[in-house]
Amino acid sequence: MGLFGKKGDLKAEPTRLFYACDIHGSEPTYRKFLNAAKFYDVDALVFGGDLMGKLLVPIVSDAGGVWRAGLHEQKHVLTTPKELAEFKKSLDTLGFYWFECDSDEYRWYEGHQDRIDQKFDELAKARLAEWVELAENRLAGTHVRVYLCGGNDDTEKVLSALDEVSLDRVVNCENRIVPLDDHHSLATIGYSTPTPWDTPRERTDEQIGELIEKLMADVPDPSRCIFNFHCPPLDSSLDTCLKLDASVWPPTPVIENGQPVYYGAGSQAVGDALDAYQPTVGLHGHIHESRGATKFGRTLALNPGSEYGEGVLRGLIVAIKGGEVIGHQFTSG
Amino acid sequence: MAEVAVPQVFTRRASGLVRVMSPYSAFVYNILTMGVIFPWTYLWAPTAFQGSNLVLGIAFAFLFELPIALAYTWLATALPRSGGDYVFQSRVFGGGFGFTVVFAFFVVWILQWVALSGWLLAALGIAPTFLGLGVTTDVHAFTTIGTWAATSNGIIIISLVNAAIALVLLVSGFRNYVRFQYVMWYAILVSFGIVLLLFLTTNPGAFHTKINSFAGAIDGVKNFFGQAKAAAAAGGVDFNPPFFLFGTLMVAPIAWTSLQWATYSVEQGGEIKNAHVLRNQLFIIVGSLAATAGLLVLLAVAMNHGIGGDGIRVASSGYWYANGKALIGGGYMFPNLIAMGLTSSPIIVAIIGVGFILNSFQIVCNCYIGCTRIMVAQGLDGLLPDWFSRVHPRWKTPVNAHIAYFVAAVPVIFGFNKIADWSTKWALGITFANGAVMTLSALAAALLPYRAKKLYEASPGAKYRFGNTPMVTIFGTLGFLFGAFMVGAFLFVKGLGLAYTASAFPYVIVIGTAVFGLIVYFIMKQVKSSKGIKVEYAFAEIPPE
Repeated sequence: MGLFGKKGDLKAEPTRLFYACDIHGSEPTYRKFLNAAKFYDVDALVFGGDLMGKLLVPIVSDAGGVWRAGLHEQKHVLTTPKELAEFKKSLDTLGFYWFECDSDEYRWYEGHQDRIDQKFDELAKARLAEWVELAENRLAGTHVRVYLCGGNDDTEKVLSALDEVSLDRVVNCENRIVPLDDHHSLATIGYSTPTPWDTPRERTDEQIGELIEKLMADVPDPSRCIFNFHCPPLDSSLDTCLKLDASVWPPTPVIENGQPVYYGAGSQAVGDALDAYQPTVGLHGHIHESRGATKFGRTLALNPGSEYGEGVLRGLIVAIKGGEVIGHQFTSG
Repeated sequence: MAEVAVPQVFTRRASGLVRVMSPYSAFVYNILTMGVIFPWTYLWAPTAFQGSNLVLGIAFAFLFELPIALAYTWLATALPRSGGDYVFQSRVFGGGFGFTVVFAFFVVWILQWVALSGWLLAALGIAPTFLGLGVTTDVHAFTTIGTWAATSNGIIIISLVNAAIALVLLVSGFRNYVRFQYVMWYAILVSFGIVLLLFLTTNPGAFHTKINSFAGAIDGVKNFFGQAKAAAAAGGVDFNPPFFLFGTLMVAPIAWTSLQWATYSVEQGGEIKNAHVLRNQLFIIVGSLAATAGLLVLLAVAMNHGIGGDGIRVASSGYWYANGKALIGGGYMFPNLIAMGLTSSPIIVAIIGVGFILNSFQIVCNCYIGCTRIMVAQGLDGLLPDWFSRVHPRWKTPVNAHIAYFVAAVPVIFGFNKIADWSTKWALGITFANGAVMTLSALAAALLPYRAKKLYEASPGAKYRFGNTPMVTIFGTLGFLFGAFMVGAFLFVKGLGLAYTASAFPYVIVIGTAVFGLIVYFIMKQVKSSKGIKVEYAFAEIPPE
């Protein structure tokens, strides 16, 4: 029987889901995520956290009808509306936010982190709300649902957009158990262990462990539960990243014997939970460069990685049936 | 109020920004990867292309490699997270092409380098070291070991042990290798420096006396140099050849066997791309390329000073003309062996030997590191069985890929050392395969702005243009043309190996591996398709609209 066979009675056919994460505000990557439903012929789109972009680019207009901006430490001077539109599009691809302002307004923000953070939240929330509306429109009339949640990089203020709009195809799965299909549930936790950047949604490993316990208390059959835990398990090869010295700003890679040091930045609690509960599958993100697959007992744990900055949607197609993973495929769209 | 000249980007505290690494460390280790110890430029070129100028030839190799290196810099900063030739070519040419080329011409052909590194370790490292120790300490057992290490059985055993030790070291954790690499780096620097010094502080007259004494102590031969030179002349070596421009150009592909590896470790884990990253990569790649070329030139100049053109040609005749009289202890007159013959200090001999032994070992590690990484990526994409991408639960390394590579290298090691034409005539001609990958990646770079437009436009290098033409297209095109010239030279120029035997067999191997890669691709595609998985999804771009 084909893994991705024709849709029919969902009791007979496996459920096919597409998982992606860490798109950090990238507009084309998110649109690809929505289109993945049709492109890969899946029943559900699961997002694993980190929706917010990382940089805010002010585009300053001057009296001469010219716009100036800085990007990649280079000066951009935009002299026509077409150049301006293309520049904004490139920012959208990178997942950056932008706003147009004059010099006075720019100076009002410059050096005031609280004002900048507020602007970030305002633009990020607006973008998320647009994304939710886009998802509702694109998936209207289909059986596909989109499961959205935040990651450690997302603020609660921005994520509140998920509670403030009316949802039909979109499911806010943030820190809750939701049904994925008639036979499987989805458990989601968007927090991560502490990072060098003191991101908005970090928790200690103990706290993550407690959250998992609390969540799983409501799951009747953990073997038919999909873990959508943003933070990967510790030292699993899904969490390998540069070790950073956070005593300087920005953090700097730790060098030993002339080479950068890599280490596991994941969560022991997540690893323990995979071992203890043996869910259907573990879906993880957070560490963009650690695409991979590993097993915890019978449970496959996966991280598709992320290349949002290049406009590439890294993801996973996972087919599940009866609490088992029938097949999986890494994608790069 | 005055206009804002250059608005600064606003960041959140949670920006993910990472301070750009000092390029110095990567610069230093890139030099190590480029194999300054490879002897072929000095051993092969002088008599294969009589009248060629080594210094000029190395300079040509540097100039030819430069645009390739620049093209790779652009590629690396456009795809910092999942870079590498497999990804570069898959993005631009498609997954089937990227898999076939890189699997065949890197993964399969670099098995040859596993065998070569064992040969280097034995013939360039262990043999000269023990021969030198035998002469300087008058301990006959050392000489016996050195002589044995240069035999085909000795090389095979050493190669297998070399590959096995590398396997264990890398499987036990990459961090262990990194610690050891630190030792290797300083050892080769000191070793290479001493070799240079020995050549620079002698002259051809003194060299003749010392090498006669050295060879006499090992082989019992009198007037070694006189006899070797006479035999070389009788065999066809011209000791006063006119300058040969084409021959000098043909030195470039040989020197390229070192310099092409400037791009092997191109990797940048930048979260947020910036111009610093591009500039640093330029320093790392181009800077280390220039430094390595400089070291190779320095060695050529030093050898010419110390042993003269006659000395260089006699040494080369042992390799290219199979002049048995020009062998010492059964081995070729490698630069480091000659240097050992210039000293009476066993300590100096040991220091030189250790450096060359360790750099030879580092090469086999590089083979494993690069190719297992490719196999893991291809396994994750479904183009190789999942087994290859599995990570050991305790060591966190792709053990299966390492083991597979070791097992696959065993027959290659035997073939390399037991089939005469394999090692003497085809071996370095096989470098065409690796060169072909880099040449095609340069082409991928040239086409990047057109075949992967959005990806290119989001990269730091997109701003740089020459008129309307992206700089990456210019570098990539030049790199492709120069690379094609050198790869073509390996394929068709008689003095560069493949064409020497006037046999179709080497070409059958070349084409055969490419066909093998294609067959693997189609088999895996079918196998996955029967399970309902489309491998094309690993590369197919989803439209955003």
